Amino acid sequence: MAVTRTAEHEELNRLLQQAGRSDQQAFAELYRRTSSKLFGVCLRMLHDRGAAEEVLQEIYITVWNRAASFDAAKASAITWLTTLSRNKAIDRLRQRREELPDDPRTLDEAVDEQPSPAAQAQTSQEHRRLTDCLDALEPQQRSSVREAFFSGATYNELATRCQVPLGTMKSWIRRSLMQLRTCLDS
Amino acid sequence: MNTPADEGNHNLRYAEYVLGVLDADARAEVAHEVRTSSEAATAVALWQRRLQPLAEEITEATPAPYVWARIHDALQLDAPPQAVPRKRLWDNLALWHWLGLGASAVAVALLLVVALPRRTPPPLPTTTAVAYMASTIKQDNGTTGWTATMDLQHARMVVVPAAPATLAQGRAPELWLIPAGQKPIAVGMISRDQPTTLALAPALLAQLGPTAALAVSVEPPGGSPTGQPTGPVIAKGAIGAAPETGGDKVAGNARKSTERPRV
Repeated sequence: MAVTRTAEHEELNRLLQQAGRSDQQAFAELYRRTSSKLFGVCLRMLHDRGAAEEVLQEIYITVWNRAASFDAAKASAITWLTTLSRNKAIDRLRQRREELPDDPRTLDEAVDEQPSPAAQAQTSQEHRRLTDCLDALEPQQRSSVREAFFSGATYNELATRCQVPLGTMKSWIRRSLMQLRTCLDS
Repeated sequence: MNTPADEGNHNLRYAEYVLGVLDADARAEVAHEVRTSSEAATAVALWQRRLQPLAEEITEATPAPYVWARIHDALQLDAPPQAVPRKRLWDNLALWHWLGLGASAVAVALLLVVALPRRTPPPLPTTTAVAYMASTIKQDNGTTGWTATMDLQHARMVVVPAAPATLAQGRAPELWLIPAGQKPIAVGMISRDQPTTLALAPALLAQLGPTAALAVSVEPPGGSPTGQPTGPVIAKGAIGAAPETGGDKVAGNARKSTERPRV
């Protein structure tokens, strides 16, 4: 599993680098291999297929335009791509909230809160390390961090959703982040 | 000079940025820092390395084939759009590519697909389950406003605008299904300038057929408040079966009115 995973990651690094040199075939192959993952990220955060499709389109246009700046020494291609996707999806969320202050979220895509056993079996060593550190947090704080990561919600929105004062939510998350850093960097 | 406390707070802001909890203004500030300061960029990259593994839990979802066709068009790539295998009409990039180009050619071609008698081979028996249906939704002046393709098996419809309709400010187009002799049923809000994918509820699916029509009315952005059209109907179209074959053939139909044998 680990070997396959590394080989796959290296292949993606290579494809992204080739896309950075304007290799269209490599870009098409990169899309074929990564679009389901990135679309999953968009759907999970936006809960709307149409919006997720638009953001996915923006993502790959940005990938093509910025692939030359990808540096495999700093981050793997898949990290680079998922980071870009989360950023684009969060930007879209912020835009949408400004347009629609009431935020009528339509949950037309059922999204699991927990990973499926199969998905979990395939997660990396880094993921297991992170979940171990998350498990060391207070349950409420752990679920706030997870909700924040997967929903892209602001402090305000998280506080409303969890029905706690804004200050409480901020201190939960900040304390969790500091604890996570200590745990992960040890 | 930063004191250690400043540094701690600063570092937290990068963590908050990566986690995604900052509001639009605070996000924009950090994003600007990341672009202009290598220290900020490094701090953000470190937090990404720490938190990003959570993304592995996200379930994958396959995007519709027209997304790639749109990327392909937007970037004006010249390699063939072959990232997705071509199998059924729905999955045929050529079709999406071509629908995406809009214009009245789409209307003409779809009409031909739907309306032309098939010469060779003879028509399939009508008992064959129809997997796709299509509709050209025309405006009063005769130009095509939207084309709709319905995938019955997956209970979804993609509505592609051809010529963007001009609407009053603060109004949006809503799509309706009108079964023969019955009241309109709301299908959903559609976009004037982008393809829209709509899920088809079982009640809607049951009504899709050659006797039903699609219509677009002008409504408030959230849709008609009454459940029935409240604004003027600006476009309508009949529904017909779409063939379950390659898109090349569909395009070919427009020009040559000939068909290749079914595969």
